[in-house]
Amino acid sequence: MSAGAPDHGSEAPLLSATRSQGERTAPPPRSQVEVPGARDERKWVAAARGGPTLEEAEEGPWEVVVALERWRPSVLSLVHALRFRLATLWGENAHGGDVEVHGIFLGGAECRGVHLRVDLPGAARKLPSLLPDLPTALYFERELSEMFGVTILASPDTRPLLLHERHTAPPMLPAGGEPTGVRAPFGFPRTEGEGVYEVPVGPVHAGVIEPGHFRFQVRGEEILNLEVRLGYAHKGTERLFEGLEPSQATVLAESISGDMSVAGATAYALAVEDVLGVPVPPAAQTARGLLLELERAAFLMGDVAGIILDVGYAAGAAEANVLREQAYGTLELLTGSRLGRGAVVPGGLARPVPAEARVDVERSLDAVRRGLAGLVDHVHDQPSIMDRLRGTGVISLEVAEALGMVGPAARASGLVRDVRRDRPYGPYVHERVRVRVASRSEGDVEARFEVKVAEVLEACRLARHFLGEGGPATGPLISSRSARPRHGLGIVESPRGEFLVALRPSEPAKKVLARVHVRDPSFLNWPAIEYAVRGNIVPDFPLCNKSLNLSYSGFDR
Amino acid sequence: MIGGGSPGSATSRGEPSADREAAPSSPSRARSTASAPPRETTSGIFGPCTTKAYPQGPAELARMGARTPWHDPGVCEGTGACARACPTEAITIEGTGRGARLRLDYGACVFCRKCVDACPTGALRAVRFFELAVRSKDDLVARHVAGGTLGANPPPSQDKVSREVRERISRLFSGSLAVRAVDAGSCNGCEVEVSALSWPAYDAERLGIHFVASPRHADALLVTGPVNRNMRLALQKTLDATPDPKFLVIAGACGISGGPFRRSKEVEGGVPPSDLPSVWVPGCPPRPEALLYAFWLALGRVEQQLKNGELPPKVGGSSLR
Repeated sequence: MSAGAPDHGSEAPLLSATRSQGERTAPPPRSQVEVPGARDERKWVAAARGGPTLEEAEEGPWEVVVALERWRPSVLSLVHALRFRLATLWGENAHGGDVEVHGIFLGGAECRGVHLRVDLPGAARKLPSLLPDLPTALYFERELSEMFGVTILASPDTRPLLLHERHTAPPMLPAGGEPTGVRAPFGFPRTEGEGVYEVPVGPVHAGVIEPGHFRFQVRGEEILNLEVRLGYAHKGTERLFEGLEPSQATVLAESISGDMSVAGATAYALAVEDVLGVPVPPAAQTARGLLLELERAAFLMGDVAGIILDVGYAAGAAEANVLREQAYGTLELLTGSRLGRGAVVPGGLARPVPAEARVDVERSLDAVRRGLAGLVDHVHDQPSIMDRLRGTGVISLEVAEALGMVGPAARASGLVRDVRRDRPYGPYVHERVRVRVASRSEGDVEARFEVKVAEVLEACRLARHFLGEGGPATGPLISSRSARPRHGLGIVESPRGEFLVALRPSEPAKKVLARVHVRDPSFLNWPAIEYAVRGNIVPDFPLCNKSLNLSYSGFDR
Repeated sequence: MIGGGSPGSATSRGEPSADREAAPSSPSRARSTASAPPRETTSGIFGPCTTKAYPQGPAELARMGARTPWHDPGVCEGTGACARACPTEAITIEGTGRGARLRLDYGACVFCRKCVDACPTGALRAVRFFELAVRSKDDLVARHVAGGTLGANPPPSQDKVSREVRERISRLFSGSLAVRAVDAGSCNGCEVEVSALSWPAYDAERLGIHFVASPRHADALLVTGPVNRNMRLALQKTLDATPDPKFLVIAGACGISGGPFRRSKEVEGGVPPSDLPSVWVPGCPPRPEALLYAFWLALGRVEQQLKNGELPPKVGGSSLR
């Protein structure tokens, strides 16, 4: 890292920065599902739709409706033959008690993606599981099962995911189910043998941490297995969006993961703007970019601090937290809220960022950048810190890809995906905004530490870029589509990775929201911690945990 | 260069930032190669103190920061625009026009300022104020009549906790307070600000307030989140495991009223009332200084500012825009 030198705007690579388009991925798994002539996404979509040529005017993900018996083969051919990845799955209520299952799959040229839908008749509501061929689908299927009463056929794991109590009916169905107060059983896997014992942790943790339960099986100090049980922060948030006017619901989007308020609000705003065709002034786009990058810097500074603290170096952590405070103070300077809450709204910003703050913001960004570079140099010189990070909590590329991981944690395992680069949105559409994506291949705590450090520095650089734009960076980004899609889609690279909002307004007036689905990056990344800790010692668990910094509330909603 | 005054702070006390950048170097600088340019080093470890003066000194607030809606019934026309704009029903209104009855609940407010933007008459303004914590939830609610006067609220209900208990808490815990934080389903926004109390900028330990890992070591519980169904039992067990005497600090709109989640069947809509001495801290999330104020209020070291829903006259009547 070349601290000191004025490097904003320079093109020096950050770590092993990758600038190639498209995602770098592992070799395809063996169980390929062959679809004749399906090497090209356009051909695949045309074939799946039954043959007609595609309209070039279409935008956004290709929308495809498949019959129930084609669901599993269609998904697996997308994933295995076309190398698309499952970004999210969600359910929706349709007429007559039917349930629609929607899936967003990203990949292909410009990461445009495919929006797949399958209809489940009300009487049966049965869906064949995508497991074991697509491990990413497990949590989505468990959620579909408990929230919509969909029976997942041949699923290896049918336990509830977010609901701890029995409900009078699946809560997302039109009638809505209510909690009964009766706790539903949840079986943890057991490990038996000489010297094997269990360590239960949580839901109330020893610190200022969100609630969740960890069940370790340990022999000596070595972790044999970890199962995470979540749902302790479940608030039924998706249901709360329903019936609200789009402008009323921003606070809910900010409250998916409060520490990523700006990213949540931006993803939600993008989805609303997408489906309603709301234009966004270029200056507001640029300002959103500034706020998003400031939030990223503040957030990831906290991860850097946490990793340093969890090896026991309190003074270094304090230093990182000095810088973190600086970043939050800067967000407050621009938005009036330390977390940037209430700043981003559908259509732009709630109020313009004050132009007179520019000099102070520049000074803060430089202070954070220089302070972090100095701190990291200092930390690199401490073998007692670096030895703890190296080789700890390894997540291999194969595991990362199978789980569909996103964000800095994925990039530290060599899975280089970043929607700012792969699927540019809002402020990142302009060709002059070139995001240098940091990555490492080791997948250990050290790799995640280094990636996060590089991302703070890059966020400071990008924030300066957006600050410099000041005026119009690009024209209004909402196209003049002839027909609006049924669903709006907003995908934002949050500090933890890809944050996705898919929403559908009520028909025909589109005045209120009929269904909003939010997929926090932690929904994809949580299972990774179970792999990361295997073979590690219990005292290194906090380090693994902090280096992943998963959101409980984002998962549970 | 770091910390001290937040950038552009209104009441900056610290040295000019240029002085701070000349902080003494860290050992890492000595190791850098001769050809490398001199580097700004990590000043916090070896540099000047960056801890803010509050609550012993004045708060340093960014120009736009710490804004709280304040309602002036005298100029209110009772249009109801504020109530329609509010995402959490913190403002409700009965009737229209002059004579309409407006209710402003700081315990449900998420401080988004949509009401201020929506108000056509300027009756709602964003004033700079954050010392909103109260001992009784009733004190969070302002009841105004459009066209009426300030201070016409019905009389506040009596404090349920006796003076003797308050004094005992103050006597026992003023010098050293052990706090156990419990997240009862929050969005983790409050956790950012609670964590910030341990950062150098706020350093609650300098005030004798420290966070402990076990409820058995705790004198007080700091509860965030709307108390969702899945955390009810854990919260109750944590409360039971905390030895007496103890008190509660309930932080954030969710813990007070359920906040944005108040209508969900999966949440209780905030911490249920109890006989324990409690302090309620509005905010979404409450800023670190607001949490420090709340602890000092609980310890009897400061006076309660928000009374019967009314901000202190000097704040409400000020010309801050």
